Amino acid sequence: MDPLLLARLQFATTTSIHFLFVVVTLGLVTLLVGLQTAGFITGKPVYERLTRFWGQLYVINYVLGIATGIVMEFQFGLNWSGLSRYVGNVFGAPLAIETLVAFFLESTFLGMWIFGWHRLRRGVHLALLWGVAITAYASAYWIMVANAWLQHPVGYEVRDGVAHLTDFGALLTNPTLTFAFGHVVMAALVTGGTLMAAVSAWHLLRRTPDFLLFRTSLRLGLITMALAVTGLQGFGFAQFAPVGDLQPTKFGGGPDRDAMVAEWTTRFGPGDYTPPVLSNVGLGFMILIGFTLGCVWLLLPLLWRDWIIRLKFPLWLLLLALPLPFAAVLLGWLAREVGRQPWVAYGLLPTDQAVSPVGSGLMLTSLVGFTLLLGALAVTNWTLLARHAARGAADPALGRPPAPDTDTRPHPVFA
Amino acid sequence: MELAWYALLGLFFATYLVLGGYDYGVGLLLARRPTAPATPEHDRAADASSRAALNAVGPFFLGNEVWLVTAVGILFGAFPTLEGELLSGFYPVVLGALAGVVLVTAGVQLRSRPRAQAARAGWDRVVVAGSALAALGWGALLGGLLQGVPRTASGHVTGVGHVLTPFVAAVGLAVLALVAVQGATFLTLRLPAADAAPVARLAHRLVPAALAAVGTAAVLGLLSDRVRAAVARPAVAVLLLVALVAALLVARAALGRGRAGVAFAATSAALALPVALVGAALWPRVLVSTVDPAASLTVADAAASGPTLSLLGWLALPLVPALLGFQAMCWWVFRGRTDGRAPVYW
Ligand code: HDD
Ligand code: HEM
Ligand code: HEM
Repeated sequence: MDPLLLARLQFATTTSIHFLFVVVTLGLVTLLVGLQTAGFITGKPVYERLTRFWGQLYVINYVLGIATGIVMEFQFGLNWSGLSRYVGNVFGAPLAIETLVAFFLESTFLGMWIFGWHRLRRGVHLALLWGVAITAYASAYWIMVANAWLQHPVGYEVRDGVAHLTDFGALLTNPTLTFAFGHVVMAALVTGGTLMAAVSAWHLLRRTPDFLLFRTSLRLGLITMALAVTGLQGFGFAQFAPVGDLQPTKFGGGPDRDAMVAEWTTRFGPGDYTPPVLSNVGLGFMILIGFTLGCVWLLLPLLWRDWIIRLKFPLWLLLLALPLPFAAVLLGWLAREVGRQPWVAYGLLPTDQAVSPVGSGLMLTSLVGFTLLLGALAVTNWTLLARHAARGAADPALGRPPAPDTDTRPHPVFA
Repeated sequence: MELAWYALLGLFFATYLVLGGYDYGVGLLLARRPTAPATPEHDRAADASSRAALNAVGPFFLGNEVWLVTAVGILFGAFPTLEGELLSGFYPVVLGALAGVVLVTAGVQLRSRPRAQAARAGWDRVVVAGSALAALGWGALLGGLLQGVPRTASGHVTGVGHVLTPFVAAVGLAVLALVAVQGATFLTLRLPAADAAPVARLAHRLVPAALAAVGTAAVLGLLSDRVRAAVARPAVAVLLLVALVAALLVARAALGRGRAGVAFAATSAALALPVALVGAALWPRVLVSTVDPAASLTVADAAASGPTLSLLGWLALPLVPALLGFQAMCWWVFRGRTDGRAPVYW
């Protein structure tokens, strides 16, 4: 088999699994910050219980985000050594910055947050969660800087066949970055909101004892969903302008595309410069889902006097909506990434020059091995998430108070 | 400039081996779970001891692993050429280490989520296997660097058979043994005083095994033409090797006297020294070609171009102290022994 195909398949699989988890991370952490901050300010126990329940789901979900993320990071070197060889001077910088600015602190903070309940002062503990959230957003931002550069390379010059950085600022003002980042963040909030609303709806339908608690999270999830879906649609349509200008071969034809193809043919020789049709299919279904989710606004008036709970069927609708954002994020990425084919870096580095000179046997082993491993872990993780979500907020392991006080008094650190 | 970045890369990878080393060492020690009578009480006791061990690592686990993530980030940003050639040139080894890291990451964090004892015991086995793979893999990578790679004038490392040598296997095993010692010593330092004595004895017994493994690797290295050819500074290499052995001896003596802190410092040094050894022995080269001396990759050639390095430099200057500060805060907040009452999460 063709190593190029294997490498692409592996990238597509791992990134997709990674994104299904990090999109939840990014959405939930935002809601958690809201919940824990509300608890800190009002001192109401319901917020602490909400933080522990949703925090538990968040932390379980996080595991696969890390596991798949590490595989992603190594994949560049393992399968795409041409990428680092030709464009590493430019593309590597935002990735290195991300690990230094974001991941390092994110993980350090999260470890302290998980183990810091009842041990740290409440303010310090809250600050840690804020730290986790800010660094999570920073990580998404820097990854998007890197990805936007592949979509539209800027701020470099080629010497001896290798790209060198000339203007870092151009990477940050890349037109394929701004709206895409906004769109990704909104997608994460929609996903987090939908998850929160759907799990709460399930508990309300089952009439589990924690009515008040799940009523609160239903409302929070639903309102987040509604506000974010509007932003999502806005940023989504806004993307068409820069994408149409800068990537004329991506969605559809026209004279721009023909001119671009003619230019590439003179520079790189004749070849097939149109992306697979999968890209447009992805785009179409994503937009369909976007409009479907937009209907959440119709449910908002039912929050009045809890009609949404009393009528029951809106709760079923929310449960049914749960898979939609996950499908849409994958479709959206298919549109963006497949649409830039046959380039790794659009108009600069063809995909087939970026792949490592590794035998197809090894590449296949790696593809099958990691797909099975990460796939199995992903399914296990979702099973655990579903069980913990179903178990309810009675006594999550996260933030459980220490065993009964036998001798010493608890002495908070940083008191 | 390149030297500074190379040193920073070494610092991050060595720190990962030291900190991740005790994660994996503790992971390996979960294999001690006796299988004998499968009574419910027995299972519960075994589960409790696994949890106690993992929660000793608890708050540090996520912060330890991220040293690896950042090391690879630095590798990509500051040494892009090396990144591609190193990882793809050692494909099978990196694959093994990576699978190990993934298994440990998932296993440690998920093991206590199911309630059934059988599921938890299964996850413990996952952690044991993952820890072994990770330690062997990173060890083999270090060994492989030390014996050079078949890099041709095209700039690519051809084939992967070059890693299948006794020396590479021996270095892998040596790092595995060092990691086991590190884990046992860490538990001696962290577990409640009552539980620390048995692990201290275990650590004490593991040190000779580690010495034997390091010795075997050293002898095989001296006998190997490829290693002798690749090492540009034999004197430095031997000096650092002696320091490694000395660190292990200090660790054993300290463990015998109940000085767990000193022992931990010594075993940590023993895990960091191999990285320094590889870096210094090969300097100024990093990938030594076994087929064409002119095709060796030097650190300077592997580095990113000037503007990229200075951009990253300005960023790292204020950042690295902050990163270290927050890690230090974590160590400080959770210092001392676990008391059996602290919230148990893993
Ligand atoms: C909840 C998920 C979700 C939903 C409902 C939508 N999107 Fe989306 N979309 C994404 C999640 C997403 C994404 C996964 O986040 C992508 C992939 C890359 C990116 O920047 O965002 C994306 C990419 C993406 C792109 C590709 C940009 C490129 O190729 O560079 C366009 C043009 C749109 N979106 C437009 C829309 C429109 C007009 C929508 C409906 C009204 C819409 N999206 C709904
Ligand atoms: C738009 C796409 C991406 C987004 C939004 C994103 C976001 C995130 C976030 C928020 C995390 C934190 C862990 C978690 O939330 O579960 C994470 C983890 C990680 N991601 Fe991604 N990521 C993306 C793509 C990538 C890519 C392409 C790489 C490869 C370089 C990568 C490498 C990593 C690594 C190494 C981790 C683990 C870090 C740790 O140990 O904390 N990610 N990602
Ligand atoms: C997390 C969401 C992402 C998803 C689901 C995704 C999806 C994909 C898919 C489907 C491909 C294969 C395209 C094809 O072969 O036709 C691909 C390729 C690739 N993507 Fe992404 N991508 C994501 C984010 C990123 C980011 C953030 C980066 C860079 C930082 C990135 C870099 C690449 C590279 C280098 C390739 C391989 C070369 C290629 O086939 O074009 N991706 N991705």
